[in-house]
Amino acid sequence: MAHSAALSSEQYNYDIVKKFAITSIFWGILGMIAGVYIASELAWPFLNLDIAQITFGRLRPLHTSGVIFGFGGNALFATSYYIVQRTCQTRLAGGTFWPTFTFWGWNLSVLIAGLLYLFGYTQGREYAEPVWFVDIAITVVWVVYFLIYTVTLVKRNQPHIYVANWFFMSFILATALLHIFNNLAVPVSLTSATSYSLFSGAQDAMTQWWYGHNAVGFFLTAAFLGMMYYFVPKQAGRPVYSYRLSIIHFWALSFMYMWVGTHHLHWTAIPDWTSTLAATFSILLLMPSWGGMINGIMTLSGAWDKLRTDPIMMFMITALSFYGMSTFEGPMMSLKSVNALSHYTDWTVGHVHSGALGWVAMISIASFYHMIPRLWNTTLYSLQLVYTHFFLATIGTVLYITALWVSGIGQGLMLRAFDEYGNLAYTFVETVAFMHGPLVARVVAGLFFLSGMLVMAYNIYMTIARAKQEEGVSAVAAAKA
Amino acid sequence: MANPVKDPLTGAETTGHVWDETLQEFNNPLPRWWLWTFYGTIIFAIVYWVMYPSWPVGNTFLKGVGNNITYKTDAGEEKSTHWNMRALLAHDMQNGAEAVKQKEYLGKVGAASYEQIAQDPDMSAFVRSYGVGMFGDNCAACHQSGAQGVVGQYPNLVDDDWLWGGDTKTIETTIRNGRLGYMPGFSNVLDDAQVTQVANYVLSLAGEPADKAAAAEGQKIFEGEGAGCYYCHTKEGKGMHAQGSANLTDKVWTIANVAGAETPEAKLAAVKAVVQKGVQRQMPAWAARLDDTEVKVLVAYLKQMSAGATAQ
Repeated sequence: MAHSAALSSEQYNYDIVKKFAITSIFWGILGMIAGVYIASELAWPFLNLDIAQITFGRLRPLHTSGVIFGFGGNALFATSYYIVQRTCQTRLAGGTFWPTFTFWGWNLSVLIAGLLYLFGYTQGREYAEPVWFVDIAITVVWVVYFLIYTVTLVKRNQPHIYVANWFFMSFILATALLHIFNNLAVPVSLTSATSYSLFSGAQDAMTQWWYGHNAVGFFLTAAFLGMMYYFVPKQAGRPVYSYRLSIIHFWALSFMYMWVGTHHLHWTAIPDWTSTLAATFSILLLMPSWGGMINGIMTLSGAWDKLRTDPIMMFMITALSFYGMSTFEGPMMSLKSVNALSHYTDWTVGHVHSGALGWVAMISIASFYHMIPRLWNTTLYSLQLVYTHFFLATIGTVLYITALWVSGIGQGLMLRAFDEYGNLAYTFVETVAFMHGPLVARVVAGLFFLSGMLVMAYNIYMTIARAKQEEGVSAVAAAKA
Repeated sequence: MANPVKDPLTGAETTGHVWDETLQEFNNPLPRWWLWTFYGTIIFAIVYWVMYPSWPVGNTFLKGVGNNITYKTDAGEEKSTHWNMRALLAHDMQNGAEAVKQKEYLGKVGAASYEQIAQDPDMSAFVRSYGVGMFGDNCAACHQSGAQGVVGQYPNLVDDDWLWGGDTKTIETTIRNGRLGYMPGFSNVLDDAQVTQVANYVLSLAGEPADKAAAAEGQKIFEGEGAGCYYCHTKEGKGMHAQGSANLTDKVWTIANVAGAETPEAKLAAVKAVVQKGVQRQMPAWAARLDDTEVKVLVAYLKQMSAGATAQ
């Protein structure tokens, strides 16, 4: 093992993977601190402190960009560069310059966009808040990423392309498509951060949510399934459950996701037929999503005992379970009748976090625990701390989504309750007051999850520090010999 | 390379491909339950497409069958149409059990006088139920959900003390057209000593502790032409509804928080600040948002609330 890993570190470009992985953890902590703070602002509004830069509206996109593009994005760069090299048995294309270019390009884009939000510069498009010139920078970085990835695939030393790479390819292609079309805009001038979208009215809304939901579909789902398809069988030491299932659910997923964005706009000024199609394609998406979950969980058949002994495996299976749970919940919420209750409530926010914390973050965390020791050719500093992290993360996620079920479904029911005179039983402000308790619970849940990330950061830091120490010792030994 | 391998644990065969030393794949068939559930969702989708407007065809779209909605148009004619959001809303507002009940009550209250509403327990109860929602969604952001207002900013509506007049007609006018409350600041007209004297006089009008000598000087300023306080507040200090000028003798303080100040010095400072800075506040007009019946319910609701306050 140590022998082949030592070879791998020369054969493959691990340096770029290390950079992205460490930066991902950094963004994760930063983004989650922002998340906990804005959650606290919702529970205790005085925390705005009357400072415009830290009000909910400014910090919220910093939180979402920080965790999606900072934490998630860097995790995807790291794992995709790791996986494509190892499954193609070839060094990453583009030498050292172009991969490093994607590292700095991506992170500076996210950083500049994030700082601009704080001063009020935003496109006002959800999950696509960066201003127009940052969008252009992201496009350039993405094209380079696409080229690095495809050229690496082309020069592979393997007859077949491993399933994880299909998912990463579809993620890279779809994200390019979504990013470019959703961000088509005309800047006010070359020196102004303000721009106006090419779309207007209902079409603008539908473009925005076509992007928004496919950011979930391809960025936060397909890509992380790619991660899952490599790290789960690796960690389990078992073959993937079904090649056939992976083909079917890959194509079904890729085809269905593009249709469903409009379910974010039920009961608004959009044509009824678009709303119907979005609802039905969401239902059709249920089983393709579960195909991924089944393939992941069933890969463990023959190695179920690992669930007792391996905290990394626990992370993976829990992530897949949350993936299954939230991809069931999503189609239900996209039915017109259910959506009439859930829309504009915290239920939506809870749902996205069951996917984001439960699935995306947990599978990334598990992948890091598997990958990082191998990158530094060592073992984890402490498995006990991985257990601790696992329980902090799981308690945090469960508490979070439960709190927002109470808050969201509760508010939804209050908003439609009548009294004996046929009048609405509650004023809007009464429904807001009702939410206070669950919103406090959500802050606590966020703190659980965040503290888990800090435990991880410490564990990873110690792992790398020890690896460097050992390297020093063996170098000295080698010199003496 | 592609040599399928039999797994010793499960007996299943792999595809024979190997990546990264250990990665392999079984080729298990699709789980039956997965496949049948997938077919089930397809059937569900087709049923949904048949019931609701769905696929676009040329310039139009499939309208859906067996799911028609019948409702009355604004012109009063009955119309039956394929399922759509607007027709559904019209239908529910015309036929929903709650909507029908509410409409009946609104019709009754709309036709009744304020006295009739006050004397009819059923209508009064409806006004309370409808009014709390109307008030909560439209007025409470400023006047607070208990209508107690905020001293210094938004008037208290339940103390039965009305700046602009408390009869039902006037309250209706206030809600429909809004109000502009204005008192000029006197910092350029009166020096600090004079402001202190006027403030002492104002406090004495309400029976608050005040320096007698200063108050006597203050009365001269109050009633004199230089500052001209009496133009709006009258010589007796009772104010005028026509101007929205406050009655200074009734111990109800809407701007200077005299009731909330603990020491005589703090009370004096509070009044002085108002005399110096003046008052400028605005209530927006609601005519465009609230119809006649809604305004009536709000007024009747406010009357109930302030009647409760005076009874105590």
